[in-house]
Amino acid sequence: MTEPAITLQTFFERARDGRLTAVRCRKCGELAIPPRQFCPACGERAWEAVRLSGEGAIESFTVIRVAPRAHAADAPYAIAVVKLTEGVSLLGRIVDISLEKIAIGVPVRFRPLVRGSQTAVGFGPA
Amino acid sequence: MRRVAVIGVGVTKFGKHERTSAELFAEAAADALLDAEIPPSAVQALYYGNVVGGETEHQLHTGPQAASILGIPAIPTTRFETACASSHAAFRHAVMEIAAGVSDVVLVGGAERVLNVPTPESTEYFAYASDAGWEQTLGLTFPGVFALIARAHMQKYGTTEEQMAAVAVKNHKHGTLNPKAQFQKEISVEQVLKSAYVADPLKLLDCCPFSDGGAAVVLASEEVARTRTRPVWVLAAAAASDWMLLGDKRDLARVPATERAAAAAYRQAGLGPADVDVVELHDCFTIAEIVATEGLGLFEPGAGGRAAAEGRTSLGGAIPVNPSGGLKAKGHPIGATGAAQIAEIVTQLRGAAGPRQVADARVGLTHTLGGNTATVLVSLFGRD
Ligand SMILES: [Zn+2]
Repeated sequence: MTEPAITLQTFFERARDGRLTAVRCRKCGELAIPPRQFCPACGERAWEAVRLSGEGAIESFTVIRVAPRAHAADAPYAIAVVKLTEGVSLLGRIVDISLEKIAIGVPVRFRPLVRGSQTAVGFGPA
Repeated sequence: MRRVAVIGVGVTKFGKHERTSAELFAEAAADALLDAEIPPSAVQALYYGNVVGGETEHQLHTGPQAASILGIPAIPTTRFETACASSHAAFRHAVMEIAAGVSDVVLVGGAERVLNVPTPESTEYFAYASDAGWEQTLGLTFPGVFALIARAHMQKYGTTEEQMAAVAVKNHKHGTLNPKAQFQKEISVEQVLKSAYVADPLKLLDCCPFSDGGAAVVLASEEVARTRTRPVWVLAAAAASDWMLLGDKRDLARVPATERAAAAAYRQAGLGPADVDVVELHDCFTIAEIVATEGLGLFEPGAGGRAAAEGRTSLGGAIPVNPSGGLKAKGHPIGATGAAQIAEIVTQLRGAAGPRQVADARVGLTHTLGGNTATVLVSLFGRD
């Protein structure tokens, strides 16, 4: 049995410490978040964990005004798809940027959003 | 493979009901069997769509429950869950069961009940169709998914909020012609633009409602269908999937699963987009209709918003889309939606759609999308 380069649990443990991690295919260089068994580009299982800079820019965004129960107290809040400088994209909550300043292309930097035992992906000002 | 036909359809009124989803399905199924002029004892299997029954009704195992309420408990039943595309996925598998020669008559349908819980609760349950570890933790909602798509489409193609509003206006107008529709009133572009933001840039009137309802269709082999007066033939039933996470989608302005499922369906039927006369597609949000008309090849990528605003997708236009009122006005009981779209296309191809009839419709298409765009079903239908 092959040990995966990184699991969801280790991803979020590292994220909690401020380190954003991806896996890179040793065969073809494909970069992915989250980890998967097979490389979607070449079909190999030769992943290695790589640390990402955490820097990127907003690709698309929305402001959630009608929220699910668990997040109702946070509304309104912004969620964005962020394209990281390494080329992969990740969905995250935008924090510490006023809602009217959020736009496509705005540079942002990864930061973990920790709530109890749960860690989620956030992005703040670059 | 054997040819398969739809020989009966039934749909409840969509909106608020004080009945369980199983009861709603059973009403639609009884209508479908009467329409097919076939006794319940002839049904050999049930393929059933139901999505949030576990949450809103504390009910799993909804397949046998639905069959029991209908009064045919002994047949094999299977519940499908592909988010909002569930009963369309059920349909595709039922088609394959008949095409393979396993059964001659199969009942397909679905039902949903959500208006018995408050909106913040149903908003949360619908968000379960997004990834629990990566996306639900952010507070992503179902409108939020399509808001991200809308913003990307606006950026890439210059699509406007006015063009999106035109889709809502058109589908509400169509809904006034459908007595089963949840909304029976026209709205204006101005009303859409002035409605409150739910997930920017989507406003309340860009969104389909929460709905209760049921729908059913009876499928039959060619041998059985030939003994019926007005069979509608299944020309294709295709499915495609895509990455679960929005971050993995390379181009948020497109829905690759729609493009793949459409390509497969056109190939199965030996037809192309120009051959389609009437379309029922998944307009859970106005932008979803725009992107779907592009993905189905009805318009070039980026041209869907303009086409809607110009009336090309209205009844009387070049390619009428959602004559039933669509999810926007007819309503969207998620487990029932795929079957309800098929029921509308069958009604159109029979020439029985009354004031919302598309003149001389010969080929119809249904398109149903699951949740975060990771599931899409496309089917094609034709008449003799
Ligand atoms: Zn590779």
